[in-house]
Amino acid sequence: MTTNVPVADVAIEEQPKENYLNCSKGFWSWAGTLDHKRIGVMYLIGTTMAFLTGGIFALGIRVQLWSPDGVMFTQETGLAGYNQMFTLHGVFMVFMFIIPAIPGALANFALPLMLGAKDVALPRLNLASFYLWLIGTGFAIYSILTGAVDTGWTFYTPYSIQTEQSVVSMGLAVFILGFSSIFTGMNFIVTCHKLRAPGQTWFRMPLFCWAIYATAILQVLATPVLGITVLMLAFEHLYHIGIFDPAYGGDPVLFQHFFWFYSHPAVYIMILPGMGVISEVVSVHARKPLFGYRLMAFSAISIAVISFIVWGHHMFTSGQSEFVMMAFSFLTFLVAIPTAIKEFSWVATIWKGSIALTAPMLYAMAFLVIFSIGGLTGIFLGALSTDIHLHDTYFVVAHFHAVMMGSTALAFFAGVHHWWPQIFGKMYNETLAKISACFTLVGFMVTFLPQFMMGSQGMPRRYATYLPEWQGYHQVSTIGAFILGTGFALMIGYLVHSLFAGKPARENYWGGATLDWKTATPPVHTNFDEDPVVTTDEIYDYSFLSEEKGKA
Amino acid sequence: MSHAVLETPTPSGGNFRPHKVAHHFTSAVQEFQSLKLAFWLFLVTEVMLFGGLFAGYYIYHEQYLETFVACGKLLNRELGSLNTIILLTSSWTMAMGVRACQRSKQREMINWLWLTVLCACGFMVVKYFEYTAKFDHGVFPGSFFAPDETYAPFFEGLLHPNIFFSFYFTMTGIHGFHVLLGIFAILWLIWQGGKGRFHAGFSAPVDLIGLYWHIVDLIWIFLFPLLYLVP
Amino acid sequence: MLAFLPQQQQEPLQGFDSLGQLPPAASTFAPDVDGLFYFCFWISVFFFFFIAGLLVYTTMQNRRKTETQPAASNVTHNTPLEVVWTLVPTIILMVIFAWGWKGNLDQSIAPGDALQYQAIAQKWNWSFQHPGQKGFTPGEFWVPLDRPVKFTTHSTDVLHSFYVPAFRAKRDVLPGRYQTVWFQATQEGSYPMLCAEYCGDEHSQMRAVVHVVTQEEFDKAPWNARPEDPIEWGEQLYNQYCTSCHRADNTGEIKAAPNLWAIWGKEEELEDGSRVPVDKDYIVESIRYPQAKIVKGFTPGANKYNAGAMTAFSSALIPDEGIDAIVQWLQTLKD
Repeated sequence: MTTNVPVADVAIEEQPKENYLNCSKGFWSWAGTLDHKRIGVMYLIGTTMAFLTGGIFALGIRVQLWSPDGVMFTQETGLAGYNQMFTLHGVFMVFMFIIPAIPGALANFALPLMLGAKDVALPRLNLASFYLWLIGTGFAIYSILTGAVDTGWTFYTPYSIQTEQSVVSMGLAVFILGFSSIFTGMNFIVTCHKLRAPGQTWFRMPLFCWAIYATAILQVLATPVLGITVLMLAFEHLYHIGIFDPAYGGDPVLFQHFFWFYSHPAVYIMILPGMGVISEVVSVHARKPLFGYRLMAFSAISIAVISFIVWGHHMFTSGQSEFVMMAFSFLTFLVAIPTAIKEFSWVATIWKGSIALTAPMLYAMAFLVIFSIGGLTGIFLGALSTDIHLHDTYFVVAHFHAVMMGSTALAFFAGVHHWWPQIFGKMYNETLAKISACFTLVGFMVTFLPQFMMGSQGMPRRYATYLPEWQGYHQVSTIGAFILGTGFALMIGYLVHSLFAGKPARENYWGGATLDWKTATPPVHTNFDEDPVVTTDEIYDYSFLSEEKGKA
Repeated sequence: MSHAVLETPTPSGGNFRPHKVAHHFTSAVQEFQSLKLAFWLFLVTEVMLFGGLFAGYYIYHEQYLETFVACGKLLNRELGSLNTIILLTSSWTMAMGVRACQRSKQREMINWLWLTVLCACGFMVVKYFEYTAKFDHGVFPGSFFAPDETYAPFFEGLLHPNIFFSFYFTMTGIHGFHVLLGIFAILWLIWQGGKGRFHAGFSAPVDLIGLYWHIVDLIWIFLFPLLYLVP
Repeated sequence: MLAFLPQQQQEPLQGFDSLGQLPPAASTFAPDVDGLFYFCFWISVFFFFFIAGLLVYTTMQNRRKTETQPAASNVTHNTPLEVVWTLVPTIILMVIFAWGWKGNLDQSIAPGDALQYQAIAQKWNWSFQHPGQKGFTPGEFWVPLDRPVKFTTHSTDVLHSFYVPAFRAKRDVLPGRYQTVWFQATQEGSYPMLCAEYCGDEHSQMRAVVHVVTQEEFDKAPWNARPEDPIEWGEQLYNQYCTSCHRADNTGEIKAAPNLWAIWGKEEELEDGSRVPVDKDYIVESIRYPQAKIVKGFTPGANKYNAGAMTAFSSALIPDEGIDAIVQWLQTLKD
């Protein structure tokens, strides 16, 4: 091949061009692929399946709570089934969907494109991450078949030591999924460092890359601690090594420290990529450069750094000393500041833009609204005295669902709708997509606002039955969950439909300015026909859109 | 469009094979740096993983100081020192192997690598004797901790001696597992090295597994004094 | 609503049915917690509507109408604005931090003259020891109005959490470690106490009742009152301690443990095939040392209720006379 192949004229071409989807066929061309885009597509399918599975468990939870004495499981029939259901909901959503979804599916596809690279730095490792994800999911399913865990996704000791043996296989699943996440993170760090296009300095990277980079640091530094923690938990279960078991002189609270040392940074492993997606989506769909680019990049990194030293705020009632609690509360408020900066910057980006209310933009706006709820309710929980009252109540449940479900999951879907034409070269039904986005926003509010209310009244979480005073809130919440379910079912429907019968998408469907849009739709196997060069600091410059059309 | 496939210079002599740079890199230097950075990140995860164990050890060391002091004395310092010397030697032979590889001395590299494997196996054999010496007296981890009459007097009046041995077996066990992995990785190097894949033009796998081996060594350098000497 | 307590102890609970309100503030530090809660709440409401309002306004003003419409403004920086939206939240957050910390010091540091209580948590019930009481009272406790009381708590099995929403007081209860929680009740009445740390199958049923009474009533030591009739007392003990695992009806249904209906006088088959008569010795042993003889089919994990081992009940929780009462009550369970 030569270096000077002329760029094909897209307007005349009728036959589908060769792209990464059709350049090779057959099962092994996918299962053995090293192409980051195909691996991204496999992650997209896998994580969405995990989301649907977790979602079914969620609906089960909401059905159970329709009545104060339980619908599916009552005291007479035993309540263990409910406990397994919320545990599996948590494990599937956290470890198999939220953590891998955006890095695995969207960043795998878009990050090398944004950097002008031909692939991620270590394509084999990338494929290995995906297979580790599959194996980890396999172990999780195996543990369901052998009795299912009922410990909650937090696996608190000593309960997790005393309960069923399937905790061991679930721990193994989490260990393996952790390494999948570590390898993904390593790959992205190296890719950002070594594979940027000529001329693309650090501050010419799109903000999505900054967010993924910050996430990757957390994945690499925090996840091994989770690995060793679940490993010790498995040893504890098998051999009673006693490190977390008071019966043998161990300290169950130490487990909480270890667990949250990972799992608090993990919260940012979940939300930072979502923040990155939203940065891209609001810029493209408001056709305006991101407001405060540098401050946004620095906030992503400072969130990552501070998130390592706030884990104690999950344990304000566990019996830490007053000084430690004060310190963790203070640091928790520090991490709120960069988060607030980000929220304001997105709003300022949209402000006086050229705002197109497309499906991705609607999802992004739903994100901004719900994320503000998630962030603001975090203040109640960071403050010590109110947290003592709200800790382990539905207020906490609603708070982290606002951040995890209402923000990260919605950011993921905003990103899926945003990059869909670029990934598959097909367009979904936009009207249905907008309806689905509205369902999601309304469904979220109906589901979780009542949970905030009953949480502030003291309704504890992980309750299979409850005091009848709270029945009204629970019933409204259950209705909301089904509205959400309808929205997501509709979304899966039109997205799958578009794969088979969608209209071909035109080049650069939304008019993006970053490199992921400056290639064919969908991209060719090696990403770019000509190696891109970045020559300007103005990476979010949309003036070409008005000029081109103006000439024509 | 994409450039022709890059090849690194292949030294003459031996059965050296050319190394093709992966298609998504623009130079062999970029490829090597990427691999190296990734590997360092992997080593960071190893440090964090053991860091969790070290933190746990420290906390219980403070909590049950007397127990830890007394139990540490039960470990065999002579065998521990022997293992330290063996492992340090293996780090040296590994470094020599890496150097030989970078100078394209194929035979020499393979010999040094065999020596490293030998040391690693020696380490595991000594560990075997140390473990059985404890198991024979009923000193097992966790709930299986049931010292026999020769050892029982040592533990009288100590709070939870089982915790010390849980840490001892968990930490040295996971470390031993890393040594085993290292043995397999070095055997792979010997196998591929025999085919002439590693030379001055492409030494990354030898360099990186060398780094891994040094980290395994380094972790032992922390484990040995903590478990055997500090008490 | 408190169906798990005997009929005469049921009293209405106030304040939990008003929409979106905090529960009644019935302790000294509760009003301060609520003050901070509402402070955060109104700040949140302001910022939420501020952000949502900006989004709605600019969307209505700057909707893209033609394909080529450029942004109305391309401003990417505004240093004064960025400084303001960094500093203002910082100041607000620091105020909230300081307020929360002060409130927490109130919550965690008990006055020296507090009445000393003990609480024991186990799957899935609470037992309380009042000042000067011998033994423990299950499922409910009494505190005098306007006097600080301090609980020393521990758990015999897994993590639990001592949570009284009306007092804004919560503390995890741990095995192998003593934790304390204190409060000073300011309103008479009965309030629910809930377990707030997940502890297994019947976590949601692990409730108790707090009675805030006047000093005169408190001096009558209502916790010592027990039914005159031993059969009634035996049934009460069963209701308080045993129902989460045992049933006692003629349906033949079981839960984690055997159904107690008509077992008196019959023989139980054990795991090793031997048989043992259900007499008083067997009942005493099964309560004090439940692991000694386990009925066939009820070893931990053997049935679908995922039973762990039964917890042992010491004489502090069920005194010897209590076992006598249980035995008398068991004899009444027959067709």
